[in-house]
Amino acid sequence: MRNRSEQTICAISTPPGTGGISVIRLSGPEALMIAQKIAPSLQQKQIQTHTAYFAKIKDFKNEVIDEAVLTYFAFGKSFTGEEVVEISCHGSEYVAEKIINILIDAGAVLAEKGEFTFRAFMNNRMDLVQAESVLSLIQSQNEASARVAVRQLQGDISKKYEVLESDLTWCLAHIEASIDFSTEGIDVVDPKILLQKLSDIKGDLEKLVASYRSGRLIKEGIKAVLLGEPNVGKSSLLNLLSEDDKAIVTSVAGTTRDVISAPVVFDGLKYTLSDTAGLRETTDLVEKIGVDRSQKEAGRADVVLYVLDLTETDWVTAAEQIRAIKTPYLILLNKADLLDGAGSNIARKKLQNLIPSLAELDIILTSNLDPQTRIRVLNAVKQKIGAMNVMETALLTSARQYEMSTYALEMLEISIGELNKSMGAEFTAMYLKESLLALQRILGHVFDDQIMDRVFKEFCLGK
Amino acid sequence: MQSFDIIVVGAGHAGVEASLAAARLGVRTLIITTNLDRIAYMSCNPSIGGLAKGHMVREIDILGGQMGRAADASCIQFKRLNSSRGPAVRGSRAQCDKHVYSAFQTQALQTQANLTILGAEVKRLILEKNVCEGVVLQNGVEIRAKAVIITTGTFMNGVMHFGLKQIAGGRIGDKASIGLSDQLAQFGFEVKRLKTGTPARLHKDSIDWTKTIPQFGDEKFYPFSFKSERKFQLKQIACYLSNTTEQTHEIIRNNLDKSPMFCGIIEGVGPRYCPSIEDKITRFAEKKTHQTFLEPEGLNSELIYLQGISTSLPEDIQDQFLKTIPGLENVKVVRYGYAVEYDYIEPTQILHRLETRPISQLFLAGQINGTSGYEEAAAQGFIAGVNAAHKILERDEFILGRDQAYAGVLVDDLVTKGTREPYRMFTSRAEHRLVLREDNTIDRLSDISDKLGIASKEELSLLNEIKVSRSRLKTTLASQSIYPKPEVNEQIKALGSSALLKPATLEEFLRRPEVDFIFLSKLGFIFEDAEVVTESVEIEVKYAGYIKKQNEIIEKSKHAEGVLIPADLDYKAVKGLSNEEIDKLTRIKPRTLGQAQRISGVNPSALQALMVYLKAYTLKIKGEKVGSTPQFRTTNSLAT
Repeated sequence: MRNRSEQTICAISTPPGTGGISVIRLSGPEALMIAQKIAPSLQQKQIQTHTAYFAKIKDFKNEVIDEAVLTYFAFGKSFTGEEVVEISCHGSEYVAEKIINILIDAGAVLAEKGEFTFRAFMNNRMDLVQAESVLSLIQSQNEASARVAVRQLQGDISKKYEVLESDLTWCLAHIEASIDFSTEGIDVVDPKILLQKLSDIKGDLEKLVASYRSGRLIKEGIKAVLLGEPNVGKSSLLNLLSEDDKAIVTSVAGTTRDVISAPVVFDGLKYTLSDTAGLRETTDLVEKIGVDRSQKEAGRADVVLYVLDLTETDWVTAAEQIRAIKTPYLILLNKADLLDGAGSNIARKKLQNLIPSLAELDIILTSNLDPQTRIRVLNAVKQKIGAMNVMETALLTSARQYEMSTYALEMLEISIGELNKSMGAEFTAMYLKESLLALQRILGHVFDDQIMDRVFKEFCLGK
Repeated sequence: MQSFDIIVVGAGHAGVEASLAAARLGVRTLIITTNLDRIAYMSCNPSIGGLAKGHMVREIDILGGQMGRAADASCIQFKRLNSSRGPAVRGSRAQCDKHVYSAFQTQALQTQANLTILGAEVKRLILEKNVCEGVVLQNGVEIRAKAVIITTGTFMNGVMHFGLKQIAGGRIGDKASIGLSDQLAQFGFEVKRLKTGTPARLHKDSIDWTKTIPQFGDEKFYPFSFKSERKFQLKQIACYLSNTTEQTHEIIRNNLDKSPMFCGIIEGVGPRYCPSIEDKITRFAEKKTHQTFLEPEGLNSELIYLQGISTSLPEDIQDQFLKTIPGLENVKVVRYGYAVEYDYIEPTQILHRLETRPISQLFLAGQINGTSGYEEAAAQGFIAGVNAAHKILERDEFILGRDQAYAGVLVDDLVTKGTREPYRMFTSRAEHRLVLREDNTIDRLSDISDKLGIASKEELSLLNEIKVSRSRLKTTLASQSIYPKPEVNEQIKALGSSALLKPATLEEFLRRPEVDFIFLSKLGFIFEDAEVVTESVEIEVKYAGYIKKQNEIIEKSKHAEGVLIPADLDYKAVKGLSNEEIDKLTRIKPRTLGQAQRISGVNPSALQALMVYLKAYTLKIKGEKVGSTPQFRTTNSLAT
């Protein structure tokens, strides 16, 4: 049997089902030859890379299966790095599968899951971070997460890691040189400069680690939980915000017993909103469980939306509950339609007196009757978690990248501590090497003799 | 026709260790050299040891090697390098009287049972298909053997360069060995060129010593060999420091066209860590001066070795630039510096036991494998000698792990990564640096030495005694306590350490950076143990936290070291390997997944694929269910 990488693989690249067109991808050393077998009219043509050709797809009985557009990408100029042909045929499942069968008869093999990306990785068309981003691009369900994935695919994150990798290698090279060539009178770097460089790297790494939260929010969606005393209008707000009527709304306090969630897509971002049982002391066992769940749900949220009834006057208990919230939160002053502007301002002041740390922007007037409520609340959520700015920068989205980066950071911090303690350069080096290794694992680079190469390049050595 | 068990070709530092190790294991050994007066000769710098190199000398000493004893006997200046740094990167270096050194080793060969010395030149190997069965001498005489070890150093097709003039030879005064490497190349070995250089030797009476700065060695001696006494055997002398000047650099710059390195005559790759003075001046143009040490080659020698100034410029240019170095204004050069180009065998063609893959019963050791340095050569010589003997005695192969010895790192690096430049050992090459220390060599290797059986019974019991004393001392430290009495705390504060608040074990107390055994004795905790016992115990106690961390790091990667790869694995059948990876893996045939990991150009994704394949492979072979770890037979207990 031939080595797998010498075989040409094929698969339907569009999702299953009936659509306008289906795209079949063919990648491998014989991609063009196989395509020409099933599209005989291309045999006589001079085929150019990055060019689309119209052709009739025929089976081996010379029967026409479909009319299709074939796009050719030459070796080294395609996504996988191999010769690639993309066949855009009519979007019937039957046609696409028939074409796959003919391709297999013509010498192709069916691709395994992720094999196109795997080949791209193997052919050095992308590093591990980029390969991961292909997957998240395919899976992305909203504009922001698609944008982050594209940016990763273009190598933005990889570039950042590569800079860190290179800087860390420089530091390690200097430390190793100071150990192994201590007797050769070389000018080893001033510890102050080394320390400065290491703290710069640390700062950059911290930023990357911190970006994971935003990256994850964009990829997985922002989790917002409606919290508040019973009968303040949480369920109505959920229905309004999600433009759905998932939650049962009655005038009876304590109607909602369990957590109800609804997905929302707004301005390119994904949200999951949850309605919860109203918080109150209760003897009803079921309601009590509901209240416990509410609090748990709030603990897992990215943002808590605490709902207050504007027409209520006693907010002391509510204020206590608000002060106990550990997640970032917004206050929704609900039923705003029942008060005039002056009335709402008085209420606002009263609230700020009860909770002095409360910022002006964190208080939002809401009303089931006001169509602007949805936009106001969702915009405020977006502001609150800072999702606006992060869309413009490169972000970590994979848990693997996050874990490895956190570990790299931890090791780097220890090595800086060792350097300050001046226990011995080999201890600093041990932790630094471990930190570097983590960065290289993120990129899928192999740790080799880079440090020695660096040493020889930079220092004048020699007995 | 004569016959032996083992023939060692070459009597340099590798050849001496190889022949002694084999003979000491009881097999009949012949060592052949072209020049009986140059046995274990120091062709370049007159010193043994240095960082990582000194470690290797100590390692083979514990195992029954020879180099440490010779270095101790000929030491004329001793230094413990990096003594102010952490314990893992301290290394011993001895300047040696090179004549005493050579004489000591010659005598060791002459008095060794089972060993015959022959002055002759080997013309070619006797090969029966792919088995080496002996050698043919220049005069046509055939000598048969069950194994042949080649340790020819820089002599294979050696060419010396003095400026643009070339002379065949591997060292001044000695002929090159022609024929051997051609025979190996014809057989299909990949033979490549390396280059090395040596500085001029100066007459000591022509130097104005007042213009140089004397450099003295340490007063305290830590002998390389555990068998040597802890006192100097020869008079200790100074080396002298001087430096190049701007004039030196100008003369060299103006004459670069006469350097064979710079006009492309030399094709071999030189060591980057030991560049010629031409190289230094070109690559580091901004440096106005380079230091040089003037090192006596022996107590009675008139020759001074000019460390740091190796060159292949023509003789008249050397005369000119040397005179611009302070102290050398009227210098008389006895031998000019030169460069040597020589053949080496790309070491990925040999196995961990240093036997070649293509030809069985043929072992290679030393510079022929692309290394540089006496210590690297000696370590390989020892390993090759043991393995050749073990093959004849039908014993297990002798392989040191990367976590056991620098010698293990050396061999694994060579056979896994190969080398493009002369390979020198550095501490940074060892991922297990914190546990590969000079002070704990005994703890690392005495059990292995015991199994190996080269060291005598008395020597082994001496090793064991040290080990037992160390562990006894450790137990005592962990069980005895120190109490925060006012008079005790006063002394502690006087030392600059913080007062004790509650009782502590001596072990905990010793962890403080300021506290050592001397201070403990002042507080009344007196231990009778010798320094050879206390030093290593103190280090282990003080750095226990770091050592633990390193072990954890290693543990994570250890799994891969335990996964053996069958030698006959068909890499083409492994799904997901690139052609380049299939090529490399097929050629190098890594013993473990860990070794495969260290091959450059083998991607992490490929290792994943290999791992998956190995799991399926084991299932197929064994026909039974195994756990998550593929299980293969370990060849012997020494392999890791």
